[in-house]
Amino acid sequence: MAPRTRALVADLGRRFTYLLKDKVRAVQDYVLLSTRALLSLASGRRYVPEIVVQMDSLGVQSLSIVVLTGMFTGMVLALQSAASLDVFGARPYVGRLVCVSMVRELGPVLTALMVTGRVGSGMAAELGSMVVTQQIDALRVLGTDPVRKLVAPRLLAGVVMVPILTVISDALGIFGGGLISVFSLKLNWTYYWRSVAEALVLNDLAMGLSKPIVFGFILTSVGCYMGLTTTGGTQGVGVATTRSVVVASVLILASDFFMTKLLLILFPVV
Amino acid sequence: MSERPVVSFRDVHLSFDRPILRGVSFDLQAGQTKVVLGGSGSGKTTILRLILGLLKPESGSVKVDGTEVTGLSEEELRDVRLKVGMVFQEGALFDSLTVGENVGYRLNEDAALGPDEVEARVREMLGYVGLAPFYDHRPSQLSGGQRRRVAVARALVARPQLMLYDEPTTGLDPITATTITDLIVKVRDLDGVSSILVTHQLRDAFNVARTSVRREGETVVNTVADDLRAADGTGFLMLREGRVHFEGTPYELQASSDEYLREFLS
Repeated sequence: MAPRTRALVADLGRRFTYLLKDKVRAVQDYVLLSTRALLSLASGRRYVPEIVVQMDSLGVQSLSIVVLTGMFTGMVLALQSAASLDVFGARPYVGRLVCVSMVRELGPVLTALMVTGRVGSGMAAELGSMVVTQQIDALRVLGTDPVRKLVAPRLLAGVVMVPILTVISDALGIFGGGLISVFSLKLNWTYYWRSVAEALVLNDLAMGLSKPIVFGFILTSVGCYMGLTTTGGTQGVGVATTRSVVVASVLILASDFFMTKLLLILFPVV
Repeated sequence: MSERPVVSFRDVHLSFDRPILRGVSFDLQAGQTKVVLGGSGSGKTTILRLILGLLKPESGSVKVDGTEVTGLSEEELRDVRLKVGMVFQEGALFDSLTVGENVGYRLNEDAALGPDEVEARVREMLGYVGLAPFYDHRPSQLSGGQRRRVAVARALVARPQLMLYDEPTTGLDPITATTITDLIVKVRDLDGVSSILVTHQLRDAFNVARTSVRREGETVVNTVADDLRAADGTGFLMLREGRVHFEGTPYELQASSDEYLREFLS
């Protein structure tokens, strides 16, 4: 190998090693931050007013986008599934399909993605701004643990409020599917709801409620981590915000796959 | 506070992607002010962050009131930080809180005082910095100078033994900057609080050195010394590329024939 090529390969190797170390360190820091936040929820001082504020910000103020997303998703799902079911003459099964799809997959995933876009990015921006304006340092100097005061309440709000928002989204999705079934597909309202009730089993609820807990944890912890590791002034805040949405969305979709695999083993479809 | 130095640095080294501090040593005696001068990136602010335990040195010793802070955990640092008040560069006020809540933050966190006592102390501190009517304002409603004064009030509210000022006059007009330096002098002379002032504004540094205040009955008398030899309560420390380039009195600094110092002072 020519000396120049050898030097190029060595340089590439060094860069790759640096990049790898950087990523491993980031994962380590993320895990440490999340663990510290969870531990601080378990013991010591809890900032109750902060928790209430975060629950309001994450839950109540996200209600409108979750309602709209859930409703329209259910309506589209009814239209699309009817088109496919008509081939087999199975249009009356629209309710069953809408219900299972919403509760098992679309409700949890879409709700989490919408909340990530609205709240996860906001958390990264808010904490990032606090970092660059030295407010985090000021908190530490004034005797406050920023993880306990800022991260833990956000984490708790995510874990509690995302499942509640998901249930609302599921309900409105199924309701929206019902409206389309009656007014567009000319199905019977009672029959639609009966097929929904028949389709919904305990396994679906277990899957539909366990996923949002994990998604809530991911979107808040990633938002907080990205915010607290912001560097580079106001430009860095923008980068942290974008990165938090991208990373949290990818993690939500990836974890959805692995959780579905696991939950199908734990709660098989009968 | 005892006779031992309030702050003591011994052979402190710290690097990030380049060396920041290279063997820095100095002492701050009780009741004194140390003005830390130097160009951008010379390690001035790093000294304050090391005192507060926000950064750990690679080697060397940092003592605050006799306590070695380099090996302390975040929990253990709490006791040290209670003795220190810090004024950050832009104030670092909490945007979501009012001026009163910002100033009373530490008192509310400690929960040692009742709400009425906290409010009384906060109003007293806001009066001290001349911002009593701004109790319910938001930081965003204040000017740059007012924000710095609120930051001073926040740092003073727990009656610290040591005050740290990080570029408190940067970005302010000369008149507003003078109100801040007067406040620094007032805290030093009337309350006997030791302080470290990090700045690259020479005018403000010499203002702090020349000015002194004393109480005469109900009034506070402000004196400006014509001769820098009389300004013995203030020491100057000049950093250059992470090393202590000069340490001495304001007079010694002004009289120095060192080329770098002459250039810096010109």
